[in-house]
Amino acid sequence: MDGLNEILSLVFNATLVRSTIRAATPILYATLACVLTQQANILNIGIEGIMIFAAFAAVTTSYFAGSWVLGLLAAIITGVVVAAFMAFAHLKAKADIFVVGMGVNMLAIAMTRFLLQRTFGVSGSFHHNDIVPMPRLNFDFGGNALLDTLFNDYSLFEPVGIVLVFVLAFILYKTVWGLRLRSVGLNPLAAETAGINVTFRKFEVMLYSGVLGGIAGAHLSLGYSRMFVENMTNGRGFMGVAAMFFGGANPFWGWIGCLIFGFADSLGSRLQSLGLPSQFILMIPYVVTVVVLTLAMMRKKRAETARKSAI
Amino acid sequence: MSRILIEMKGICKEFPGVKAVQDGLFSLEEGEIHSLIGENGAGKSTLMKVLYGMYVPEEGSIAVKGETYPSLTPKQAIGLGIGMVHQEFMLVREMTVLENIILGFEPRRGGRIDRRAALEKIEYYADTYGLRVHPDKKVEEISVGEAQRVEIIKTLYRGAEILVLDEPTAVLTPQEAEQLFCILRSMKEGGKSIVFISHKLQEVLAISDRITVMRGGKHIATVAGSSTSAPELARLMVGREVFLGGSPVPAAKGDVALSVENIFVPGEKELSKLRGVSFSVRKGEILGIAGVNGNGQSELAEAIAGLRQVQRGRVVLGGAEVQNMPPRRIREHGLSHIPEDRNQRGLDRFSDVKENLAACSVSEPPLSSLGVIRWGKVREFAEGLIRSYDIRPAGADIEASGLSGGNAQKVVVAREVSRKAEVLLASQPTRGVDIGSIETIRNELNRAKEAGAAVVLISSDLEEILSLSDRIAVMFEGRITGEVDSSEADEEKLGLLMTGGGTHV
Repeated sequence: MDGLNEILSLVFNATLVRSTIRAATPILYATLACVLTQQANILNIGIEGIMIFAAFAAVTTSYFAGSWVLGLLAAIITGVVVAAFMAFAHLKAKADIFVVGMGVNMLAIAMTRFLLQRTFGVSGSFHHNDIVPMPRLNFDFGGNALLDTLFNDYSLFEPVGIVLVFVLAFILYKTVWGLRLRSVGLNPLAAETAGINVTFRKFEVMLYSGVLGGIAGAHLSLGYSRMFVENMTNGRGFMGVAAMFFGGANPFWGWIGCLIFGFADSLGSRLQSLGLPSQFILMIPYVVTVVVLTLAMMRKKRAETARKSAI
Repeated sequence: MSRILIEMKGICKEFPGVKAVQDGLFSLEEGEIHSLIGENGAGKSTLMKVLYGMYVPEEGSIAVKGETYPSLTPKQAIGLGIGMVHQEFMLVREMTVLENIILGFEPRRGGRIDRRAALEKIEYYADTYGLRVHPDKKVEEISVGEAQRVEIIKTLYRGAEILVLDEPTAVLTPQEAEQLFCILRSMKEGGKSIVFISHKLQEVLAISDRITVMRGGKHIATVAGSSTSAPELARLMVGREVFLGGSPVPAAKGDVALSVENIFVPGEKELSKLRGVSFSVRKGEILGIAGVNGNGQSELAEAIAGLRQVQRGRVVLGGAEVQNMPPRRIREHGLSHIPEDRNQRGLDRFSDVKENLAACSVSEPPLSSLGVIRWGKVREFAEGLIRSYDIRPAGADIEASGLSGGNAQKVVVAREVSRKAEVLLASQPTRGVDIGSIETIRNELNRAKEAGAAVVLISSDLEEILSLSDRIAVMFEGRITGEVDSSEADEEKLGLLMTGGGTHV
């Protein structure tokens, strides 16, 4: 009995909160990017690729320019350029957004691998002491261990992400811009007859999702870690899409979805240290994705059935 | 004579394969109600959508308040004081009434929506013209009549001086329509000018100062409302004196072929959920099901055809309970189904005519053997049907999307009727179809009945119901409010039942 308690306290403690947030943040930025485009009825499956491109741009710029700010800027610009390309292909050339997105994802993996070799002469991963990471936030809690664990040593964009959830919710549900955006996604004809330029609005949110995707990538390579690894997003963009669906394109519920993924991830790494097979642990986030999406869809379906029932 | 607000001249608008409007002509004076009438597909909506900037015309000019434009955008049109209430409401179902009204023209404080200012303005219009609405309800929760009032407030809110209403009464009960006319008259007194699109002559005569008739995309005539009559308008609309109509043909009645017993079926809207619907149809008779659209008729057809769950009750077809069976097994039990929407369910628009015609019989000999399609037989089969149902153009290889509405519908009718099933379920079989095809299709329904089929005819066209049915059941809010024999039925009686009045006849 004591042994079990010991194991439980090893797994569930204050640092679990921290590591959940840590693991959730890169997914959160992807989620918010997808929430924005989904409100305009665009499924931004290419967010994974945008993140990879951005992560590479961030590391490269930070290494050569010696500044994380410039790294972040480069990542954002990269994200916007890729998103603009996707928006052009989808809105102007009328290509299917899913196909464009998957194309971008595959291109991102291959192209960053190629550039990694060309620029740094390495393959697999690149880390170097000259890569300047994003700053970490530290406060003095007078040595209180619990507060230190809970609130100290966050990377800059971890708390910023949480603030963004509320900012985005405010923009979507309280502002004129948000109302118009939602109308574009829900009933484009209604929006159009109200004099709203639907295509322009869609293009606009694609660019903003490029900004968020850029931050996601930069945070991944300069905040979450301090290196570039081939395919370093490792499905986080897709999980962002899943969290967006889980939350029904609502930023707040999307965030909850991210926290579930983050929790599963950090729980997994703890269980691994207890000796569970690593393959099993690595599987957890993906299983959780499937389970979470299934639950979300079942809930939606059940609500729909109840609404329509004649009895 | 008062000032001319709108002058449209020589408008041409083509869609792939269809000249929707040719040399369109229309003018509107200040403070008048001007009706635009014509059959389905006469180009009324298209002409008005050109005015509202939703379509760019190939030719012609639009003069608004003295300024001439080759074409407009919705934004320009709104800026010029033109508002349009579309046939399909342009409302976001998931948003509130208030949000829908202010969309695109939001009063704001900073970047935020100024709710109070919005509410005040909405209340002003609601009070002035008697347009009662619930600003905080979501659109998906309100009735069709209220949704229409929301649409009207929306246009007024955007500063409309000129209102275009596209078939506003098609979705209303006669009582709701009467209310709408009061609203329109009070708006006219308030100085607004109104374009009223319709094909219901009595309504048009009751409300219009002037009436413009269109046929086949062309301007036929513009007459003063006070100096014309229903027969004259009908003749202008149809282009000939002959009228459809007539009365049900006699045929020998047989046993009950289909009975629906107290079924409960989920619905898209609260009012369209079926709650305890029962009826039966005999071989050799047509049962007409009348009612204002959206009172559960679509749900009823889908439930019988196996396209929608039946939560309680029984559907008995040819002696077997078939509720909740897969559609194909229900068909095997003896059902043919002409679905209400030919583009969604009746046809595969991207398959050709022969494939569409053969779709229900291709899995059995002689059209296939051992799972291999015999294309020669399919072609022969299709060409036979094309000839006997006069489908034009007469090509078995034409893609279904290339057919006109009437001919596309004939493909569906040919396929379903030629199966000679025991029960024929025909849902809105002539909706959006030209007059020639209407005649063909109605004759086919009569012929199926004479051949001994039990026919269920669901239609929102009372004239169609009255001229074909032996018995008529009326639906209102998911229930059958009455059943009358055709010999005792008239528009007034049915109209009363369609509004839920007089459950016992």
